[in-house]
Amino acid sequence: MSTHLDSGRLADFVVDRIEVGIFAVDRAFTVTLWNHFMATHSRHPAEAVLGRNLFECFPELPRGWLEHKIRNVYTLRNYGFTSWEQRPFLFRFDHNRPMTGGVDAMRQSCTFLPVRDADGTVSQVCVTVFDYTDAAVAHAELARTVQALEGEKAAQRKLIDELENAHNQLLQSEKLASIGQLAAGVAHEINNPIGFVNSNLGTLDRYLGDLLRVIEAYQGVEAALPPAARAQVEAVKQAVDLGYLQEDVGPLVKESRDGLDRVTRIVQDLKDFSRMGAADRQWADLHRCLDSTLNVVANEIKYKAELERQYGDIPDIRCVPSQLNQVFMNLLVNAAQAIADRGRITITTGRRGDEVFVAVRDSGAGIPDELRTRIFDPFFTTKPVGTGTGLGLSVSHGIVQRHGGRIEVSSQPGAGSEFRVWLPIEAPDADPAAA
Amino acid sequence: MFSEDQRDALQEITNIGMGQAGASIAAILGEFVQLSVPRILILRPALIGAALARMIGKEPVTAVRQGFHGELRGEALVIYGADQCRELGGLMGYAEELDEATERELLFDVSNVLVGACLGGIAEQIRTDIGFSAPSLMADRVPVDALLQGAAIGTPCALFVEVNFRLERRSFASNLVVLMPEEEILVIRAALDRFLESL
Repeated sequence: MSTHLDSGRLADFVVDRIEVGIFAVDRAFTVTLWNHFMATHSRHPAEAVLGRNLFECFPELPRGWLEHKIRNVYTLRNYGFTSWEQRPFLFRFDHNRPMTGGVDAMRQSCTFLPVRDADGTVSQVCVTVFDYTDAAVAHAELARTVQALEGEKAAQRKLIDELENAHNQLLQSEKLASIGQLAAGVAHEINNPIGFVNSNLGTLDRYLGDLLRVIEAYQGVEAALPPAARAQVEAVKQAVDLGYLQEDVGPLVKESRDGLDRVTRIVQDLKDFSRMGAADRQWADLHRCLDSTLNVVANEIKYKAELERQYGDIPDIRCVPSQLNQVFMNLLVNAAQAIADRGRITITTGRRGDEVFVAVRDSGAGIPDELRTRIFDPFFTTKPVGTGTGLGLSVSHGIVQRHGGRIEVSSQPGAGSEFRVWLPIEAPDADPAAA
Repeated sequence: MFSEDQRDALQEITNIGMGQAGASIAAILGEFVQLSVPRILILRPALIGAALARMIGKEPVTAVRQGFHGELRGEALVIYGADQCRELGGLMGYAEELDEATERELLFDVSNVLVGACLGGIAEQIRTDIGFSAPSLMADRVPVDALLQGAAIGTPCALFVEVNFRLERRSFASNLVVLMPEEEILVIRAALDRFLESL
């Protein structure tokens, strides 16, 4: 004879001993089934619960909500569910990790089954309680890992951005440094010939003046010459067009000297661009620098723009005022040139920590995005030939950099640009390599 | 796919099933429910997204999916607009203030009621028994046509049943879509023939 349980008793055994909580209630919420899992974990043995009201045995259950949930199963004659992800547990049971912990109570997902009688009516609801603690702990660990990874990813992204930024700045300063060396060499070579051409031209101008005076004296006594000699002189005068020559020679020399002045200025710019120059640093009031610069460029600005000064409270800073004047002049002239008809130029100053700033904002054309990276390049200019040398901003950049500062540019094509010069109140001594 | 008789019978069975579903939902919520006449289509999977967009519109939606199994096998989607079903909390036995987890539990609860009622109604008409797996979140606030993007639907065609719900006295509305793979169409055809013979 077989000692195996028959299938009915086998089913009873499995329901009782399976590692899943199983219980059932009738329409009055009287407990009609309470398996071993429920008894062990709730510490309420079956005999203490069976035949009693569920909510009397477990007053901590969310009664209103659970009654609704179970009534819906009767009404729909269909399943109901809860998930540990939204509702961590139905019953507060100890979890299977008394030693290693990780959660406060067993995580449970429950299914509510309609129990149909032989005639098809639903008179009981059976609830299965699955232990999802391990999944929940693993899920939490995974979530923490993902969060940590996201954090690292963001930090890396930031580092990459910073690196890219630093790389660009390095490229820019290397480019400027090598051009600076070249420029210094060229400036030095050109400076000598310019010096003697300039001085010779000065002498030549004086000599010409003297010669013209002599010719004038001769012309005064021309009438006294014998007719033959006078005709001879007259013929030569006609041939060389002496009248025009006398008129033209002065402006010619003047234009040449203007031209030389311009060459001198360009060479000076090149030298400034490449090194600090001999000028000593001193404590200076930037507002006074700005005001004196504004006097110099007043003519450039007054027909183009309303000028607005928004001076903040800033201390004197240690700098080379003449060089900073050059920077401000540059920015102001650029601002005026960016304005086509009539606009507004605003000068703002202020302090943040150990730095002060001077911002020149115009309501002009703005800088197209594709040119933004090139504006500090030497010899880059958008102005007509002869108007600008293309050295203004790169010279300014060099001066500000040697003061330990920086220039920030923000621009909106069509709406205007702002150049903001940041300077330390007390700059470190110039880097000897840059001198 | 279906003969004319079978098609009529399917529409009829679905209508009756939905009528019963409406009654059970009304019993649960204590409010009158309006259900649209179910739309039944047989679609190639690639066209399902477009069909959804046409029925529901362009607004972002939240969707819950629930699998069902038994003689009939498939997936039901319940699609909600922006307000979801927060205002049904009170009717379902939830507290006034809902935190994020509880709001989602309510979303699943309402979905389970709608899916259970409708599919239960249909199953009863063709005298079969179906079981359900727990509902899960399919998408949270995405455009309708992105709902099924990337879902690998490996069936040449699918039976598509769409119903929309509306509570008479509240702004709550949602769409229920039942999707069944091609092989289930054969099961339904056999069930429809049984139904027609029993008339």
